[in-house]
Amino acid sequence: MSGAALFLAILAALAIVVAMYAVGIFNRLVALKNRYENAFAQIEVQLKRRHDLIPNLVETVKGYMSHERETLEAVIHARNQAVGGLEKAAGKPGDPAAMKALGGAEGALTGAMGRLLALSESYPDLRASENMQQLTEELTSTENKVSFARQAFNDAVTLYNTAKQSFPAILFAGMFSHSQDAAFLEFDSQAIAEAPKVSF
Amino acid sequence: MATQFFEHQDRARRQTSRLIFLFGLAVAALVLGLYVLAAVGTGFRGTDPRTQQLVFEIVWLDPLLMIQVGLLTLVVVGGASLYRVHQLSGGGRVVAEGLGGRLLHSDSNEPLERKILNVVEEMAIASGIPTPPVYFLDHEEGINAFAAGFSPSDAVIGITRGCAQQLSRDELQGVVAHEFSHIMNGDMRLNIRLMGVLYGILVIGMIGYFLLRSSLWAGVASRRNSRDNSTMVMVAGGIALMALGFLGTFFGNLIKASVSRQREFLADASAVQFTRNPAGIAGALKKIGGFEAGSQIESPAAPESSHLFFGQALSSGLNSLFATHPPLAERIKILDPNWQGAMTETGGAAAPSQSAAAAGFAGDGTATAFAGSAIDQMGRISTAHLDYAVRLLRELPAAVKEAAHDSFAARAVVYALLMDADPESRELQLGILDAKGEPGVPELTRKLLPEMERLGPAHRLPLIDLALPALRNLSTSQYERFQGLVHDLVQADDHIDLFEWTLQRILLTHLAPNFEGVRRPGRRLRSERQLRQVLETILSSLARVGNLSESAMQESVARAGSALVKAELQLLPEDEVGLASLDEALGLAASLDSSAKERVLRACAQVIAADGEVADSEAELFRAIGDSLGCPVPPLLPGQALV
Repeated sequence: MSGAALFLAILAALAIVVAMYAVGIFNRLVALKNRYENAFAQIEVQLKRRHDLIPNLVETVKGYMSHERETLEAVIHARNQAVGGLEKAAGKPGDPAAMKALGGAEGALTGAMGRLLALSESYPDLRASENMQQLTEELTSTENKVSFARQAFNDAVTLYNTAKQSFPAILFAGMFSHSQDAAFLEFDSQAIAEAPKVSF
Repeated sequence: MATQFFEHQDRARRQTSRLIFLFGLAVAALVLGLYVLAAVGTGFRGTDPRTQQLVFEIVWLDPLLMIQVGLLTLVVVGGASLYRVHQLSGGGRVVAEGLGGRLLHSDSNEPLERKILNVVEEMAIASGIPTPPVYFLDHEEGINAFAAGFSPSDAVIGITRGCAQQLSRDELQGVVAHEFSHIMNGDMRLNIRLMGVLYGILVIGMIGYFLLRSSLWAGVASRRNSRDNSTMVMVAGGIALMALGFLGTFFGNLIKASVSRQREFLADASAVQFTRNPAGIAGALKKIGGFEAGSQIESPAAPESSHLFFGQALSSGLNSLFATHPPLAERIKILDPNWQGAMTETGGAAAPSQSAAAAGFAGDGTATAFAGSAIDQMGRISTAHLDYAVRLLRELPAAVKEAAHDSFAARAVVYALLMDADPESRELQLGILDAKGEPGVPELTRKLLPEMERLGPAHRLPLIDLALPALRNLSTSQYERFQGLVHDLVQADDHIDLFEWTLQRILLTHLAPNFEGVRRPGRRLRSERQLRQVLETILSSLARVGNLSESAMQESVARAGSALVKAELQLLPEDEVGLASLDEALGLAASLDSSAKERVLRACAQVIAADGEVADSEAELFRAIGDSLGCPVPPLLPGQALV
């Protein structure tokens, strides 16, 4: 067999090796993507729980804070926005636009709830009611879980982005529909910074 | 009496030599085929301009060509297999994700998912392994299930949508029991290794397919006369490679069939043993027989993993010789001798099981008396264990169970388990928790403590088994923080007690593969002397846990060790042994082969039982040691002897 043919054979073998390596990288990226998608599913569970608690909260508080209509309505509005944001983000974990929208909506909800709870401090009857105590307890627990799930998601996103950006993965990532970095989920904290309005 | 678990592992090992032979045969056939192809290809001289026929001048016996073809084949096959084996070293989850599985979260409340998770949990506690992650194959309508992984630590279970929807709880339990028996029998390791190795012979067909596709595409793109012949050659080459690829698949299936069929019968039998309910698994098989989609798996990854499934995943056609599973009718007949051949027609979803509360066992309320000792029963679960597991689960307070299922709260469960009984130490620990704990967790721990204090020692390890899936879902940095805190809590009172060590050991054994990759035992035992050292460390540590005098301890160690090594084992002095050195010794012991591990465990059991009583903490210790060696140890039933 001629030298040229042997050369071709070696080249072919090399090409196969490179191809396999590329497939290996692709598989790893897919696995990491699965992981952050899985983590996002966890966030969804906790956020739904959070959303479900709010109508209950509003009902309980309404009896005692009937003239704080603005604040109550702000909470309901923010909650509905957040529910919508979650629905839109449902199929797109890591998508920058979806994450930004969801983060903004949830951040606004956190802000509105924060104001409501701050206000409720000035209503001792409300604070003492068993219903309210149970609710605040559940809310705190849910907030912790949301925060926890969000952290896990962001960690998983970091792992994916790092793997994708490292050498030599970065050479292949573009070809395999892993071109875009996944986005973190941040709850926009600007909404919380606003001072609670107190009206008498 | 060698226990079944180790027997199976050894048998699997012996089969390996037969498999290697068959694999070698496959590679040889491929080389021959490729050589013929190469000889024809290099003998091609072009087209005779007058007759328009292809002209060949083939040299049939060309040693140089043969060597080149042989080398190339070996490189490609070897490389592909190595690659796949490396990829699969990620453990069972790689297989599950490859089949399109979706991980079910342990705190799921969706009824179908909850049913599956509950059945798997009961089985896990009964077997003494952590609840394996359950992957749901949403898009598979066929009734099927699989178990994949290298060891009980990284095992995963997969269930198809068809299985979840069509089967009753009893039948589902039968299927899950069948899969658990694969886990307990050590079948999984061979299965997943087969997947990796066989990939090499499948890859040639894949290359052929690729060549065919690309040359057809190139041929269409440029239709000049002078190109026609070379394109045709490439097309012919592609087809030929694909044909060779089928040869590879043929051998692959032959290899798989020779391994898996016998084991499937065995797994069916074990499943019956676990559940005392032949109707469960037979019912599942009958439903597969009567169901249009049968047990078909549509995923493109099915051919590679067909031997991992409960039912025949690919339609055999003329492959009945190479079917990975025994014929359905045969399996049913063995389980139900009175069966007349009628399959169960199923259309819609199964009727809701009215015996859900009875949890799929013939509950007559009394616990079955259990005769065998724990070590003899290893790897063989019984209905007594399953009954015990169901009862245990019912005894757990709902809040605690719910917490164990949730990734956030599972950490609090573990921290609460680590709380010292001594008030002063506990204060110290709570202080550490307040200082370093993750947000919200210290409060949750305090809340769970009162309920958990009411639980007996029997609940401790099962609780960890329940919590492990949730803990696996921690992110890497969350896990590191968790591990650090567990370590700090254990060290708080400057003294590691037995349970703390056991807990840490079990957590490490089962969580590390998840976060740090499935590691094969790195360091191997290199000499008889090293083995003796390791054994002395292990047995002395265990002896010193009991209540015997120095001389009695020495005697128990020597006696237990006599079955293991020739030289008499010495009891090591107090200051030379401790739970820390036990860690290292166990790491080395994990590299022993099956029969050696069995003897080590038996020796451990003897030493523990030497003082006439087996404290709960000692039983837990035994379980932790079994875990570290990759040997599932079912819970010690009330009144059961250890050895």
